[in-house]
Amino acid sequence: MNVAPRYLGRGSWLARRDPRVLILAIALFVFAVVQVWDGRLMVVLAVVAFLYYRTAGIPFRAVRYQWAYVLIFVGFIVTTNTIITGGELRGIDPRSVHTYFYLPLFGTPVSAESTSYAITQLLRFLSMAALGFPIAFAIGPSDIGPAFARLHVPDRFAYAIDLTFRFIPSLAGEMQTTIDAQRIRGYDYERVGRGPLGRIRRTVPVLVPVTINAIVGAEDTIDAMDLRCFGTGRRTWLRELVMDRTDRALLVGFALLFLLVTVLAFNGASNLWVFPFLIPG
Amino acid sequence: MSTMGMSRNGLWEVSSRVIVYAAIGAALYAISAQFSMLIPGTASVSVRPGFAFVTFFGFAFGPVAGLFTGLVGNALADQISGWGLLTSWNWSVAAGVVGLLAGLTPSFLKSWMGTPSRMLAAAAVGPAVAVIVGYLIVISDIVLGTAENLNVVFADNYGPVVVSNVITVVILTPILVAAWQPIKEQLGR
Repeated sequence: MNVAPRYLGRGSWLARRDPRVLILAIALFVFAVVQVWDGRLMVVLAVVAFLYYRTAGIPFRAVRYQWAYVLIFVGFIVTTNTIITGGELRGIDPRSVHTYFYLPLFGTPVSAESTSYAITQLLRFLSMAALGFPIAFAIGPSDIGPAFARLHVPDRFAYAIDLTFRFIPSLAGEMQTTIDAQRIRGYDYERVGRGPLGRIRRTVPVLVPVTINAIVGAEDTIDAMDLRCFGTGRRTWLRELVMDRTDRALLVGFALLFLLVTVLAFNGASNLWVFPFLIPG
Repeated sequence: MSTMGMSRNGLWEVSSRVIVYAAIGAALYAISAQFSMLIPGTASVSVRPGFAFVTFFGFAFGPVAGLFTGLVGNALADQISGWGLLTSWNWSVAAGVVGLLAGLTPSFLKSWMGTPSRMLAAAAVGPAVAVIVGYLIVISDIVLGTAENLNVVFADNYGPVVVSNVITVVILTPILVAAWQPIKEQLGR
């Protein structure tokens, strides 16, 4: 089990940026992109997102499973939205849709409008995921805490985020060790049968010892923090973060993109746009 | 400093103990969220045993630890899987609210939780109610465009997640509380 943060983008253009820029960039982009249902604007935003992703220099081979997960999950969201809504789309008169055919069993119409909706939603999620990957793979794990602290997240919470990243590799290792130890005693988590309730119960021999060990082991960390007078004064961070001109330019670029998209959304970009090539005849 | 014996005034204190327990909870949730199992006969309902960490850390160590475990743990789990830290930020907020509400349970039921069996009952019922209430936040999916309307939210998002998480927390939270209680007394917390 290897869930430790991997610094795959080390040395890339984006990894050399101030980590605060990466966090603010995705926040601005997510709030921009959720306003858009115009496919033309979404294509532009998707291009921006993937150009940004390219600058992180993350090798595709190392993240192909994560991309596969994203594609499957997005595909599932898009499909269920289409099926459950029965082809009803916000701002579209059901009598004016260009229907291709009806889905067997569900009776849901598949139309030029619902296909445009699906394409736009697909692009939206893929764009958001593209901006999310650099946070996982192009920020040095030791920079996470200082980055949140310098974003004015309260010191204690910033430190807790930093601690979380530090705990992940050791606790993942501990969980794997516990699973192996229980296997020697005949434990088999993947054994089929007895339904979901049985499977939940089968996690108990792993979750309970891992949790209790982690909590008991944390006493040393707590004592160490208390002995160093943690929380009695304002915390300082060893890592200094300084934004250079490129960082500021990138941040201003994303802020302008957010403002532009917001203005466009008030002027029609929040309405679904149907791709002309999908309209029959 | 566990909430299971904490006064209401101390609930919101962010001590080094709360910070470390919250960080452990978030890390455990993020790691264990990688293990989920599909409920047979459904299209999308999966049970995530790791969700019990959110309610357990809230119930045992207070609302601040619960909020952090849910909020940061869920965001990190999404990040590890590739989905992205903020792509479904409202789901992370919902998980955080579940942890926070689970953390308030012992304070509100303190006088009722006199016996071990009643405490375990509270550890099952409180978190279950927290899941039902906390996940109402995912209705915001309509505004964010993840769900087209309320039918989608309840049929595809809220309903399946609440069912699977209630099953998980009702079984696992009391077990974790029962395992933690003697250790807590041994450590003098």
